[in-house]
Amino acid sequence: MKLFNLELITNKRKIIGFSTFLILLSLIGILYSTFNTAYKKPINLGMDFVGGNELRIERVCDEECSDISPDSVLENLRVVSKNKNLSNNIKLQFQNKNKLISIRTTYLSIEESNNLITNIENIIGPLNYESKNSRLIGPKLGKRLLTNCVSSLFVALFAISLYVSIRFDRKYALLALLALFHDLLIVFGIFSWLGIILSVEVNSLFAVSLLTIAGYSVNDTVVIFDRIRENLKSSNQGHNETIQLSVNESFRRTTFTSITTLIPLLTIILFGSYSLFWFSVSLSLGIIVGSYSSILLAPSFLLKD
Amino acid sequence: MKRRQGWLFFIIFLLTLSVYLLINYPLQLGLDLRGGSQLTLQIIKEEGKVTKDELEAVNSVIDRRVNNLGVSESNLQTLGGDQLILELPGEQNPLVASRVLGKTALLEFRIQKLGTSSNLKELQFQRLNIKDLIEEYSSLEKKQNSDEFLNSFQESIKDIEQKLNYSANNEELYEKLIEIKKYIDNEITNLFIKTDLSGKDLINAGRRQEQTNSNWEVLLTFNNSGGEKFAEITKSIAGTNQLLAIILDGESISEASVGRQFENTGITGGSATISGNFSAENARELEVQLKGGSLPLPIEIVETNTIGALLGSKNILKSFYAALSGLIIVGIFMIFNYRILGFVSVLSLVLYGFFNLALYSLIPVTLTLPGISGLILSIGMAVDANILIFERIREELYDGNTLTRSIDSGFQRANSSIVDGHITTLLSCFVLFLLGTNFVKGFAATLGIGVLISLFTSLNCSKTLLRFFTTYQSLRQKNLYLPRNKFSN
Repeated sequence: MKLFNLELITNKRKIIGFSTFLILLSLIGILYSTFNTAYKKPINLGMDFVGGNELRIERVCDEECSDISPDSVLENLRVVSKNKNLSNNIKLQFQNKNKLISIRTTYLSIEESNNLITNIENIIGPLNYESKNSRLIGPKLGKRLLTNCVSSLFVALFAISLYVSIRFDRKYALLALLALFHDLLIVFGIFSWLGIILSVEVNSLFAVSLLTIAGYSVNDTVVIFDRIRENLKSSNQGHNETIQLSVNESFRRTTFTSITTLIPLLTIILFGSYSLFWFSVSLSLGIIVGSYSSILLAPSFLLKD
Repeated sequence: MKRRQGWLFFIIFLLTLSVYLLINYPLQLGLDLRGGSQLTLQIIKEEGKVTKDELEAVNSVIDRRVNNLGVSESNLQTLGGDQLILELPGEQNPLVASRVLGKTALLEFRIQKLGTSSNLKELQFQRLNIKDLIEEYSSLEKKQNSDEFLNSFQESIKDIEQKLNYSANNEELYEKLIEIKKYIDNEITNLFIKTDLSGKDLINAGRRQEQTNSNWEVLLTFNNSGGEKFAEITKSIAGTNQLLAIILDGESISEASVGRQFENTGITGGSATISGNFSAENARELEVQLKGGSLPLPIEIVETNTIGALLGSKNILKSFYAALSGLIIVGIFMIFNYRILGFVSVLSLVLYGFFNLALYSLIPVTLTLPGISGLILSIGMAVDANILIFERIREELYDGNTLTRSIDSGFQRANSSIVDGHITTLLSCFVLFLLGTNFVKGFAATLGIGVLISLFTSLNCSKTLLRFFTTYQSLRQKNLYLPRNKFSN
């Protein structure tokens, strides 16, 4: 009834080595991001945390939208815009076959933002206002959101740690939490690298995804530890063999639940709104890393030499 | 068996109730799904925390202003002790709302200090100049502005600065203009002495078109004591060359003399007009602000989200596709692996979906994009419990136990793991809900509700449905519960 046999005992070193490698890679990403990037932060903080203006709007085109280089639009914008400060701090992109205009600037008032749209419309209009999506976040609020997210992350981790250590023996609790931090660190590290390479930014939904991963990862580990405890009580095999057996018994369950959770996330990545794209990516990564750590890593630490 | 039949009827009852709720109380959609604007207003307080009373006072002023603006279906709520969130659904421009709401609207009546006439005249003259320049500059927007023109423009500014004996700190042209204007406003205000008449003494404000030209004026109506104070003040300066200034948020919007004929009684009747070249729009904004009263603490608009209606409906469609395809693929996966058990889990997933949505309309939970992702994610987690149970049942079956016994002990043995797992997720949701922003709260709410309901559907509904199926002889063959291709054994 086993899918296949996981040789946990013989592969213990490889597993721990692999995890150490991933953690080191994450730490390198975080350090590189902190010291060697323009933003000098462990991770590329998005507009939610630093404030700014993000604008997405579609052009109205007869058939295909004409090909215009973003630079020429910015050039025109510089001429008409009276706020020179603005036109120097603006990023403009065309997406979706030149149809979708996506603009990022520093923080603007609603009035300034409206002026910007009017200017853009004069240069490459007409625009479809029904498709507009604009977000303005003041720098003060950004800072507040950041402290809010970081503190909720810590409070949640504390609450989970508390629950796990009340509910389980100290050793199991410690290992479950170790696996949890391992998962969070790796997902964080991956996004540090994504920020460095693809300038992917993280927003408050990223913090939400980390929290969700925390709940999920602990859940996964707990299920396997439950099984190990149950088997250790009744088994007459050796300690290590019983652990390996328990992991193999839970393997189907853990992979299956990961798959059924990954499926809806993949459908959001494929069909869902763009604002949920990176959120779903980070949740998916968290679930994959979380399953790995609860099947292979956490039980490895229980093995006796 | 009898007990379970009771459960079956209960589940059918709940399903009917859910459908009834969903038909009669449609789901509330957030702005990211139906289009509209959302403004976050931050109350600014230099020292200490914003108290509950202060928050309430600000809230009621903003509420009155929003109502007087006449935006339809707007929704105002407080967030986290010192923030307010205003939602304006549909294609309503947040610009007007932001202009009206952002101002403190502190109205003062002040009397000119003695011997400042020439000073005031010069300042008034320069204010006129700077206003002209600002207007000219704004109209430049769409034209090319040549260097030559800009140079002469700079010259005019320099000229004003020299006369004022002031130099602006801002480099940027427009901001320079605004800074100089602020300086002039401040200087003018300082030429006047405060009186005890203020916006608190108003009972109403209105606007009307002036008879002589197309400009608008704003009509103020005082309460009894306000009317008396106004008469007193006007009496004291009637016939002199001292002026009465009406000052809004530190900017004088009108300076007027009081005629000799009011020397004995002052201006009685308890009303006054401000006629300061208002456009219809400006007059309306001032009217709304004065009617709502002044804010006890200044506020700042720290966040604005605008989502077009078309984008909103696209978001609904996309989320629907994502949820539906997720559900179908998960269903196929479950039926393929667990056969009848998988079919049962699909049925309880459908029940799960209905219960969730019904609860959203009952509480009510406003559905947003993050909320939907919480719902979709909780589908995966709901199946998780089913998988735990089914794996146990399969193990029992492989061990040679009877079907009924396997089902019973499967549910029983998976119980503790399921509860543990759900509690850790609930803890995360709880923290998110307490500390999170509005945006995050939607996700925490739907995921949390989902996790709670999945406890019921996976433990109870699945069991009941399974028991129901196993009452049919033809559905009791063991191989219907085991996969076709056994991997080992």
